[in-house]
Amino acid sequence: MSNTSFPIPMLHSTIRIMAPFLLAAIGGLFTELAGMLNIALEGLMLIGAFFSVIFAAATGSLFLGIALGIVASVLAAYIFGFISLHLRANIFITGLATNVFAEGLTMVLAFQIFGNKGVIRFANLPRLPVLSNPSLQRIPVLGDILVGHNILVYVSWLMVVLASIVIYKTAFGLRVRGTGSNPGAVEATGLSPRRYRMYAILISGFTCGLAGAILSLQLGAYVPGVTAGRGWIALVAIYLGNKTPLGILIACIVFGFAESLSNYAQGVIDVPADFILAFPYIITVVAMIAYSMIRHYRLRGSER
Amino acid sequence: MEGITKFFAASGVLANDAVDLVVEEGEIHAVIGENGAGKSTLMKLLYGLEHADAGEITFRGEKVAIKDPFVANRLGIGMVHQHFKLVSDFTVAENVVLGSEPRARGPFIDRRSAVRDVSKVIEEHGFSVDAKRKVQDLTVGQMQQVEIVKMLYRNAELLILDEPTSVLTEQEIESLFNTLKNLLGRGKTIILITHKLEEVMQMSDRVTVMRDGKVVAVRDTKDVDKRELSRLMVGRDILLEVDRKPPTYGDPVLELKDVTIRCRGQGRPLLDRISFQVRSGELVGIAGVGGNGLAEIEDVIGGLRRATSGRIFLHGEDVTALGPEPLREVGLAYVPADRLRRGASLPTTVRENCIVTKHHDFLRTGILQKRGIRAFTERLIEHFSIDAVEGMPAGNLSGGNIQKMILARELAAETDFILFSEPTWGLDIASSQFVYEKMLELRQRGAGVLLISSNLDEILGLADTVLIMYRGRIVGRLENTESLSKEIIGEYMLGLRDDSQSPSAVASAEGSRG
Repeated sequence: MSNTSFPIPMLHSTIRIMAPFLLAAIGGLFTELAGMLNIALEGLMLIGAFFSVIFAAATGSLFLGIALGIVASVLAAYIFGFISLHLRANIFITGLATNVFAEGLTMVLAFQIFGNKGVIRFANLPRLPVLSNPSLQRIPVLGDILVGHNILVYVSWLMVVLASIVIYKTAFGLRVRGTGSNPGAVEATGLSPRRYRMYAILISGFTCGLAGAILSLQLGAYVPGVTAGRGWIALVAIYLGNKTPLGILIACIVFGFAESLSNYAQGVIDVPADFILAFPYIITVVAMIAYSMIRHYRLRGSER
Repeated sequence: MEGITKFFAASGVLANDAVDLVVEEGEIHAVIGENGAGKSTLMKLLYGLEHADAGEITFRGEKVAIKDPFVANRLGIGMVHQHFKLVSDFTVAENVVLGSEPRARGPFIDRRSAVRDVSKVIEEHGFSVDAKRKVQDLTVGQMQQVEIVKMLYRNAELLILDEPTSVLTEQEIESLFNTLKNLLGRGKTIILITHKLEEVMQMSDRVTVMRDGKVVAVRDTKDVDKRELSRLMVGRDILLEVDRKPPTYGDPVLELKDVTIRCRGQGRPLLDRISFQVRSGELVGIAGVGGNGLAEIEDVIGGLRRATSGRIFLHGEDVTALGPEPLREVGLAYVPADRLRRGASLPTTVRENCIVTKHHDFLRTGILQKRGIRAFTERLIEHFSIDAVEGMPAGNLSGGNIQKMILARELAAETDFILFSEPTWGLDIASSQFVYEKMLELRQRGAGVLLISSNLDEILGLADTVLIMYRGRIVGRLENTESLSKEIIGEYMLGLRDDSQSPSAVASAEGSRG
């Protein structure tokens, strides 16, 4: 491995790795703007991951697999939203319950269907189509980094653009943001804040389902607990990104890079593997602390 | 007949008991009553925020069912709430169009026409806000204008204003009243909810008086006077004037020296070299419009915020760096403005609320002695005639009784200094009167009392010395004499007068005190 070519594949894999973070965080951004701390991202992602790969294998169609994975995740989001909003349960508890439920459900179903508690491989699973365009790929550096990913990576970028438009340019976006800032103001105009909160939760179900689909379909297998805390990191990305789509994109690049770095470092640096695997999480903690410190100093009056 | 008839009987708490309200087109109709008389509930029904169990609403001769504010808007009914319903990080235009946004194509908002339409409404009615400014940068008076613009943008014909003047300065009230007269001239109908009788007399054509969920009287305003109205409201004669004996001052109990609070990134300090003292037997009133430093003074004296520079002395002791608990040990009693969050804990019992500041006294080998606490609490309940049972959650009490409970607790500490911040905000006449009497009792007893209030009647009625805040500075220090009026204080509050710049004025104020 030469010194010049080393960063390029690492950056290439950064782009691939960050896609699920980005999708989950963009969905979470909607719930965040609607005034809810959505800790269910992790569980919704896991449900998406499980069902998309199961259905893709069963139907032999990637598209149907992804679609049904998303349907499952949106359905789970609906139940989560119904209990939180209509039955008025504490959203933190119901979010926690959603995560526990997702973990249990996938485990039980996997065991019931395949009689196996471990990794389930699907040999004949169709691969995610990859965008490869020789002429684009010829662009130095950027071509190598940005081209040649599976299509869902590009879908995740599209979602960032779409989210920016919906949030800042549409009446729906205005209402969602209003709901988060002052639900009373929204209610006084005759709109139902609860309804916009539900929409936001369903959107997070949609993007988390897609995020989960990327995780399992690019592996071509279902790995228990495949999300591995990515939903939580996505939640952190929302705050680090200052609750804007662009900020979230940048935060996700950082997290994607951290994970990519730890993948590469395993073969190169002589450090215990556990430490290297923990690297993305350490980055998360450090980033979170740095963020709150910066906020603290900005908000606080200067002491003498 | 074109108007509204409303009949309604709620279960559980009987907020409105077979209430009839008739409002004629083109009039200003005042609805008055004490807190809990059912005025706000009645208006929420009319605006579709609550639903009646019985009764019907007729609007312009047609029976209507108002199931939500959307329907109310479509009928032409608009409402300005007492606590503004605005999104502070949105612009004026965004707030106004929220819920009925002009569309460019499909779901997209047409921002340009939103700003244009909203600006048109603002201009037509002579308001002074910029459609593109963020609401959080506006004054309270301007926020209210935005609420009114919101109604007019939706073509409201009947405008409901719930306690619109409670947060405004004298000048802002005047401009609001001009606006209302202007709207009346354009054929709008206005319902004015208030418990300030002066406003009723000044503004309304007719008045409906409510008490305990019932309508007790409907009068033409020209046929009644304030005394009669207050009797109808309260159900008995009440003393509108407080009896303030001439003061006798002793030594200073509280002194602030050049107290400054600076926030990084903000040019203007929140508090700018604040210096004053409160002597024993003296009641000092601090007036000002919200956002000019009143809240910061409360926080800095209460020990909840550190001064960037300057010193605070309580009983001659330097307490600048002390937090709330050690401050209380030195001798601070404090009735905060935010009584529901800072002053009381709503889910816990009245008993626990009463002893929270002195629970050490009830400890025996580390365990709270329930019997002593009960007896203590029951004594407070009786002394302050609080309508409560010692074991019930404080949240079950009415606003007035929560404030009485806080008052009882703070007065029980028998300190020589008490800080009151907005002590009667949202309270009815009877409860306010109670608070005033207690404050004057304290002063009479020789305690130093500091009253932070945006209510000028209160300041003028109670204070010996009046300080006025504007943009973090004390711009006026005045003896409360006969010649001092609300208008003068109002001019200071709006920054039209400022003594702090001219050294001679400060010097003469210092001199007159010595």
